[in-house]
Amino acid sequence: MTKYSNLFLESHNISLTEHSSVPVEKNITLERPSAVELTCQFTTSGDVNSVNVTWKKGDEQLKNYHVSATEGILYTQYKFSIINSEQLGSYSCFFEEEKERRGTFNFGVPEVQRKNKPLITYVGDSVVLVCKCRHCAPLNWTWYSGNRSVQVPLDVHMNEKYAINGTNANETRLKIMQLSEDDKGSYWCHAMFQLGESQESVELVVISYLVPLKPFLGIVVEVILLVAIILFCEMHTQKKKMHTDDGKEFEQVEQLKSDDSNGIENNAPRHRKNEAMSQ
Amino acid sequence: MAPRAEPPDGGWGWMVVLSAFFQSALVFGVLRSFGVFFVELVAAFEEQAARVSWVASIGIAVQQFGSPVGSALSTKYGPRPVVMVGGILAASGMLLASLATSLTHLYLSIGLLSGSGWALTFTPTLACLSRYFSRRRSLATGLALTGVGLSSFAFAPLFQWLVSRYAWRGALLLVSALSLHLVACGALLRPLSLREDPIVGGPAAQLTSLLHHGPFLRYTAAITLINTGYFIPYVHLLAHLQDLGWDPLSAAFLLSVVAVSDLVGRVVSGWLGDAVPGPVARLLMLWTALTGVSLALFPVARAPTALMTLAVAYGFTSGALTPVAFSVLPELVGTGRIYCALGLVQMVESIGGLLGAPLSGYLRDVTGNYTVSFVVAGACLLAGSGILITLPHFCSPASASKPRDLVTEAVDTTVSQTRDVLGRD
Repeated sequence: MTKYSNLFLESHNISLTEHSSVPVEKNITLERPSAVELTCQFTTSGDVNSVNVTWKKGDEQLKNYHVSATEGILYTQYKFSIINSEQLGSYSCFFEEEKERRGTFNFGVPEVQRKNKPLITYVGDSVVLVCKCRHCAPLNWTWYSGNRSVQVPLDVHMNEKYAINGTNANETRLKIMQLSEDDKGSYWCHAMFQLGESQESVELVVISYLVPLKPFLGIVVEVILLVAIILFCEMHTQKKKMHTDDGKEFEQVEQLKSDDSNGIENNAPRHRKNEAMSQ
Repeated sequence: MAPRAEPPDGGWGWMVVLSAFFQSALVFGVLRSFGVFFVELVAAFEEQAARVSWVASIGIAVQQFGSPVGSALSTKYGPRPVVMVGGILAASGMLLASLATSLTHLYLSIGLLSGSGWALTFTPTLACLSRYFSRRRSLATGLALTGVGLSSFAFAPLFQWLVSRYAWRGALLLVSALSLHLVACGALLRPLSLREDPIVGGPAAQLTSLLHHGPFLRYTAAITLINTGYFIPYVHLLAHLQDLGWDPLSAAFLLSVVAVSDLVGRVVSGWLGDAVPGPVARLLMLWTALTGVSLALFPVARAPTALMTLAVAYGFTSGALTPVAFSVLPELVGTGRIYCALGLVQMVESIGGLLGAPLSGYLRDVTGNYTVSFVVAGACLLAGSGILITLPHFCSPASASKPRDLVTEAVDTTVSQTRDVLGRD
């Protein structure tokens, strides 16, 4: 045990009872090599000695586990260390009475947060692709393009095209400049840990300005039509009014000319009156 | 066209209401939903949030300070050409913004250009609406202003969808196309000449006469105070609720309740403003005082039911005061001078609006919670309502009270003056 004393210690436990019908699972993320202590406890009303306790990693039986019991509660503990990626996986404790009760500890490297929405950008713009993981500090990040099975590393020495920086250890930013339609597709970021790596993809869509321009022009035509219809309807109703009102209007004009209260018809009478006032 | 003796109160006026409805939606709905673009722009230009928020602030400031220009031009040329040009400017601003490569481009395109476009549309339209209605003016204004509330509901998800499909550039381009409908709205504003128009003269003469008009100046002061307090809850209610420990979903629900009661308040108050005899200023005073009281009570309420009731009360009363605030103006200065008057009021009240939210934020930083801010907001509203009591005819009995009488009085005095002159001749 002393050669592992400089490792971090991870302790986890799971409680099961005779009434647990579903297996209990716990997901644990590990970044660095650690010494691990797993404890399962089983509460039963029956006889603790008749319970069969086993530990498995995947399908493989494990040895070197401890079992102890107090009144009605059975404890079992498995101690080991995880120093490379093969030692990650699922470790399960089994309690067999009439039925089998199981508790599982799933060990893995931290996952990178998934972006569900594709990023939409335009030709000639720049875009920043971000990969983040919560509560983790990878050793380094690398970027690839392509699909899941065939990934091509990016040539980050093309300084006018790509720039990678990250302000915190838990995120990385890839800036792609002078976008063209060839740049579209999936970009993969890999987070490297001592115990393995995890990856996630971000999808980039590059469209040209013509794509929104078409609906735009459609709406502009619609507005021009609306304005034309409104103005045309108004001219039409005015023409109709003028034709039917011709006789009435003549009478009104005569009446207003004789009414000398405020001379609204044109400016000339007002000017005369103003001059009269100043005299 | 022969000038009309009085506003038509219907007929083509309802088309003007429709136009004003869409205009308030397209101007203020766009401004209020700009937050959707805000997030995208911060990421795209890699700038700080404060610098990006200046885009909307410049737009709002230009719209408000430019209102007198819109009014003066409408007095001279009529509202239709002014609003149509405004629509083209607003749409061009958004179009240029979609091509922007730096934040400065956005300040100039959305802030300056679209802002000027909005300045040329909103005020002339509302003033035109006031000229088309007299007996049903408050109802018409209330209905038109519901456009603001409804568009806030509709545009935020719409803009979000546009951004997810076309990114911010394409979305701005399509919002520009949307804003182009302001031109169509402007086409609906048929010119109307009323009896008082030649008497009150051109824009310069009107502005001078307004600046010497006591009641108008008092009204402007009251509206500025009201504006200072009015916007504070919009900005700070959510934060106040979070301070009290509300979870975001319930807080958002409360804000929706406020928005709905605001909408209802606008229509009810519009109808009430026309149905109740007497100067509309009395109703404005009532709603303003009630809004002030409900604001001041906000810090006192802790229980969810009390807060919900206050929220409904605040929403209703603050929505109720908007159409009435616009209706008081034609009663004070007459429909002849309404364009210039409305422009001046908008410009001055914007000072209150710009000061209100930062003042409230400052008070919160100094005192640690929003109690003082809400109380100050309520006090501003109550002070404004106090000034409203000093308006003419406020306390007179119902006989001198039909809204048109003030206008007719002004016209009759001038008419009799000219008659005297003619008599001398």
